[in-house]
Amino acid sequence: MKALLKHLVEFFLSLRTAIWSLSILTIMLLAGAYIMPARQEFQSIHSAPLFIWLQEQPLSITWWLWLSIGILAVLTANTLVCSIESIIKKRKVTQWLLLISPQIIHIGFLFILLAHLLSATGSAQGMAVAREGSSFEIPGNTTFVIKAIDIQIDPKGYMTDWAVAVEYMMNNGKVLKDTIKPNSPSLQAGLNINVKDLQAFPEKAILLQFSKDPGAYWALVGGICFMIGVIILAVLKIKIER
Amino acid sequence: MLILLASSCALYFFSLFKRPLLYAGLIIQTAYIVSRGLELGRLPLVGPHDTLVFLSASVAAFSIPFGFALKGHSRFHYGIAVTSSVFTAFALVSKQHNSLLPPVLRTLWFEAHVVLAFLSYALFGVAAVLGYLYLREKDSSFEGMQYKSIFIGYCLFSLSMIFGGIWAYLAWGSYWLWTPKELWTSILWIFYSLYLHARLRQWWMGRPLVILGIAGFGVVLFTYLGVSLLMKSSHSF
Repeated sequence: MKALLKHLVEFFLSLRTAIWSLSILTIMLLAGAYIMPARQEFQSIHSAPLFIWLQEQPLSITWWLWLSIGILAVLTANTLVCSIESIIKKRKVTQWLLLISPQIIHIGFLFILLAHLLSATGSAQGMAVAREGSSFEIPGNTTFVIKAIDIQIDPKGYMTDWAVAVEYMMNNGKVLKDTIKPNSPSLQAGLNINVKDLQAFPEKAILLQFSKDPGAYWALVGGICFMIGVIILAVLKIKIER
Repeated sequence: MLILLASSCALYFFSLFKRPLLYAGLIIQTAYIVSRGLELGRLPLVGPHDTLVFLSASVAAFSIPFGFALKGHSRFHYGIAVTSSVFTAFALVSKQHNSLLPPVLRTLWFEAHVVLAFLSYALFGVAAVLGYLYLREKDSSFEGMQYKSIFIGYCLFSLSMIFGGIWAYLAWGSYWLWTPKELWTSILWIFYSLYLHARLRQWWMGRPLVILGIAGFGVVLFTYLGVSLLMKSSHSF
């Protein structure tokens, strides 16, 4: 048992494991890049959380995704074990920032993986056509109302800008006002409410998209960690070079 | 205005015979990019024409510090001159995107995402030229420079992906979409992650690593041109 545990730790501590995992992951995604555009089934991939969607699809088209998830699990353990070992081993080095920056990058990577895991288990998406005055019931006993749709069109017929005024009517009588604009969704009750499409004639109408993505904020945290780590490492390497 | 672009293409090509013409080509191409930006009233980085122009100018610009470090190595200069002139020639025959941008593309997140992506592609291109020179001349300084070029390119590419994710969440409600472009972008990012990790192992040093660095640029070209031209996605030309 002890020997097995030792082998396991050695396996996850090895840089060779990281290199093999990244190589196999690349091959799996290349297979996916070939299979995905060729199969109609992938059109519905955003209709349900990834893990539920995967269970409903034939293994003949999703095997590369299952294997990729397995490889990512190995990479997660590998990244964690290697980062911890690196910090313990080299904690007394003088250039502490140089030691810690790759680990910050690794933490960022792990947060991004966590974000994908959360999104793959709990994300949801829904669409609805709406006009001025349309209302929808959303979580938290709240009514979501479209108050006004403003579409600006230039003389050539191009849509130059748009804005949709909305209101949230809470069950305690409180009313929250917000405006959805391009690249500015309305974020409320864990939902991202966006406008997918607009129509100005014969009457103003919009295609609303309600998205729930529990991984989004973790992805942002991961992205920020990754960005900080990458910038510190690049600056230090350039400094050393000089 | 296309005369400026045609001139820069010719200057890049003739710099094979007279090196300073590369710098002249870069200056003229930069003037073309600026004038196009002024004409359109936005960053000219939408569609194959403008992105190819920006890519070729970035390759030429990034080659300058490497050229100095290599003390004006002639084969490196030839590689860059050919790469920049070929991309510019393709830009000349590619369709221009002159119409007004849809509101969703008018954001700093999009601009940062695209600019960083193409700067990183250019660095990966310079790395491929350096890799080719290592295979020809077996000089380890080319390998070291290829690593530097890929490392900086990887940093910029990572930032581009992060900005792209933020933009996608704000514009389409999700930071990740299952489209061919996103998948190929991930392949590219994992491929260069593999390169950077492989460099830490002695076995990979030298030829295998350099070949990996050259192959990476093949993935770049397919991710950029192949996917955008052949497959349907939010990044299609």
